[in-house]
Amino acid sequence: MIEFLLTLAILAGINVLLACGFNLILGYGGLVSVAQPVFYAIGAYSSALLSMKLGLPVPLAMVLGALIAAIASFGLSLPSLRVSGDYLVIASMGFQLGIIHIINNVEFTGAASGLSGIVSAIESPWRSQIYAGTIIAICAVTILAIRWLVTGPYGRAITAMRNDEEVFASLGRDAVHIKVTLFAVGSGIAGLAGGLYAHYFLFLTPDQYGIFSSATLLTMVVVGGAATVRGPVLGAIFLTVLPEAIRFLNLPIAVMAPLQGVIFTGLVILFLFVKPEGLFGSKSGGGLDAWQSRAMSSSMRKGAK
Amino acid sequence: MLSARGLTKHFGGVVVADSLDIDLNPGEIVALIGPNGAGKTTLFNMLTGFVRPDAGSIVFDGQRVEKLPSHQRARLGLARTWQRPRLFESLSLVDNLMIADRDYPGERLIEMVFRPQHVLDCEEKGRERAERLLDRIGLGARAEGRSTRLSYGQQKLVGLARALMNDGRCILLDEPMAGVEGRTVETMKTVVRDEAAAGKAVCIVEHNIGFIRDICDRAIFMFNGRIVAEGSVHDLLADKRLTALYFGSHS
Amino acid sequence: MDLTLDLAAQLTWTGLASSSSYCLFALAFALVLKVNRIWNFAQAGLMVVAYFAMFIAFRWLGLSPLPGAILGAITTILAAMALEYWGFRILRQRNSSVLTFFIFTIAMSQFLIYMAELIFGTDPKTLFPSIIAPVRFVGPVVVSDWDLIALSLTVTLVGALWLFLRKTREGKALIAVSDEPDLAEMYGMNKDRAYLVSMALAAILMSAGMYLIGTKAAIFPSTPLSQFMIFAVIATIIGGIGNIFAAGIAGIFLALLQSYSILVIASKWQILLLYILIFVVIILFPQGVKLKLGKRGPARKAGQLPPADDVAEKAS
Repeated sequence: MIEFLLTLAILAGINVLLACGFNLILGYGGLVSVAQPVFYAIGAYSSALLSMKLGLPVPLAMVLGALIAAIASFGLSLPSLRVSGDYLVIASMGFQLGIIHIINNVEFTGAASGLSGIVSAIESPWRSQIYAGTIIAICAVTILAIRWLVTGPYGRAITAMRNDEEVFASLGRDAVHIKVTLFAVGSGIAGLAGGLYAHYFLFLTPDQYGIFSSATLLTMVVVGGAATVRGPVLGAIFLTVLPEAIRFLNLPIAVMAPLQGVIFTGLVILFLFVKPEGLFGSKSGGGLDAWQSRAMSSSMRKGAK
Repeated sequence: MLSARGLTKHFGGVVVADSLDIDLNPGEIVALIGPNGAGKTTLFNMLTGFVRPDAGSIVFDGQRVEKLPSHQRARLGLARTWQRPRLFESLSLVDNLMIADRDYPGERLIEMVFRPQHVLDCEEKGRERAERLLDRIGLGARAEGRSTRLSYGQQKLVGLARALMNDGRCILLDEPMAGVEGRTVETMKTVVRDEAAAGKAVCIVEHNIGFIRDICDRAIFMFNGRIVAEGSVHDLLADKRLTALYFGSHS
Repeated sequence: MDLTLDLAAQLTWTGLASSSSYCLFALAFALVLKVNRIWNFAQAGLMVVAYFAMFIAFRWLGLSPLPGAILGAITTILAAMALEYWGFRILRQRNSSVLTFFIFTIAMSQFLIYMAELIFGTDPKTLFPSIIAPVRFVGPVVVSDWDLIALSLTVTLVGALWLFLRKTREGKALIAVSDEPDLAEMYGMNKDRAYLVSMALAAILMSAGMYLIGTKAAIFPSTPLSQFMIFAVIATIIGGIGNIFAAGIAGIFLALLQSYSILVIASKWQILLLYILIFVVIILFPQGVKLKLGKRGPARKAGQLPPADDVAEKAS
């Protein structure tokens, strides 16, 4: 039972990292990408392979995995964001499906049968305890760093960009630069989460990073409250624990996975209409409508009423 | 200072800017007048990079800028305002202004991580400058408040102050007087005059004839995407032909 | 494989025949983008609805092709109109951000896919127990009945769509609304009605496309999202957003390209080509990209309306 709870805590911690990173992209950057799981995958596979094939120490491999994920994000963000943000969403779908397809088909990554024999981060009777503690610490540092990022001068720029991107540019500020940076930071955090997953669970398959994973992360951010610091954290914890409750129903796996999918995406849709600011966002700050509609800014809306 | 030649823009079949030449000089206030739809805002948008001209060149401060994106032109010191105030509603007034600092440090993440003290110093300087500008438009006491509490005219003033925060050498004002009433009128005039006196090149799109007569040195009359007349404000306003064009198109 | 004339002829014919459904999907996506001004990523979900409605009709109720296909189309039309009426219309009224629309449409697709997986299982399925179509040789080229059905159905539907948009009052209203919604409303056209009609038309196109797909191959519930819709989006972009029929032609072009690519790329990597194509298109066709979803309608771009100063600011 203790082992189960510790594993749950580790999974929750990894999801917190993923959701926080995704929130930087989706909530603060206003960039709809479904490819967050891919950077998670890139981090996981890079870290696992670097330690397996090159014999790098695990912590170093994890850091490099995060860096590789951050750098890989430019491959998606630069072509699509330089042209128009509207394209990111479809480009991210192609990016995700393409990378997963590659992982699924090359021998190097273990292909569809998965990558096993990954080096464990720690060998100790207290392995799970130490790992859970480490992950909680990493989450705390990440959350604090994000808070620092979005409340300071950088956060002021992000807020202004969300209010009116055109005026933002007319004042000499480079929105694309900010978006690409947020994208890289968010992807790097996902990469780190990937490394943390790989060296604890010691087995990776490409299926873990498909649209189900995208839907789950989207749910965590939207239900928790996009563009708030605490929303995705609480959303991630809540949505990691919730499926465990369903697990007690003892349904076959072929039913479980789609059922979870239905519940998660159903929650996203429900929240979009009923509570777009999320469970933990306020009406004034955060939420998806912090992004002004491009066609009409709010002052015009007031004038029209 | 700012010199554009042959700016041309088609939207589909319609010519909205037909080979426009314009020169703005330091210390001079130029009025851009003409009926709605004459292409005045399109000209502003081309100068500041929000509309890409089909042809023509723009030289600002000795540098070709027609290919640069908007934010880079702003960083060279080409500032503008908008017909509506378009303030950042989630930010306080002073934050609205600080964003417009040409060397805003908060955008450079690496510097924030590795030179936090430098960034703090820049912030401090920016804040002081923003507060002084807000004092100048008489809103110093409201610096920490949100823009939504202000009257429309006051918002326009903040929009102007935000453009001035750029501290560039050229400023384009799009209908600064539209919707401005009462005491703010005088403040607006004073601030614009002072900026020109300090050596800035100012260009104003405006329908308020009294305002133009009061503060502008030179006027350019646009009609159907063309510059049809250019000269002293007095001469242009006295021209019966132009008056007919102006008011004719209103009816 | 060596390219012989016979092989080229066969690849062209097969590519053309299989392009039919891609063409229909591209038309549906482009139509909704033009009229409703929404990147309707929920299209994949509607395709799933169409597919499994027909699946029920054929496999569970044992209906024959025509009534079964009609039942499928009607279900899809209702689903599409419900999506517009209870989804897009409300978000539009709230003046929701582009972000919200994107998330809503994508989540909707995922939701419907999971629903299908929950009800019908995750394994691939065809619409009929047997999908072997009789074939004949026309010269060196193998022509199957499916090919002929696919091409004639597509030509009929595209022709009908063209006539509807050009000749009927309802169709002209659609174009007017897509060009300038507020202006069209001033002239007495009902915006909301036009939005519903375009969704219904798209639903018919999608149902037909899914019928063709399901009578030729087995698909997973997730295939519409991971392949068909991406195809449609790329075609829409290449076609230059706002031009419905150009998107259809681009869909045919892409299918042919994929058909020929068998010569150079192993079939295992075929699908990767599609995903790479997205980036190629974005980098090489930026002109399609300029037109953002906003107040700037295609009509303004085409110069049918004089650009007033205030309009210029709104659009810029």
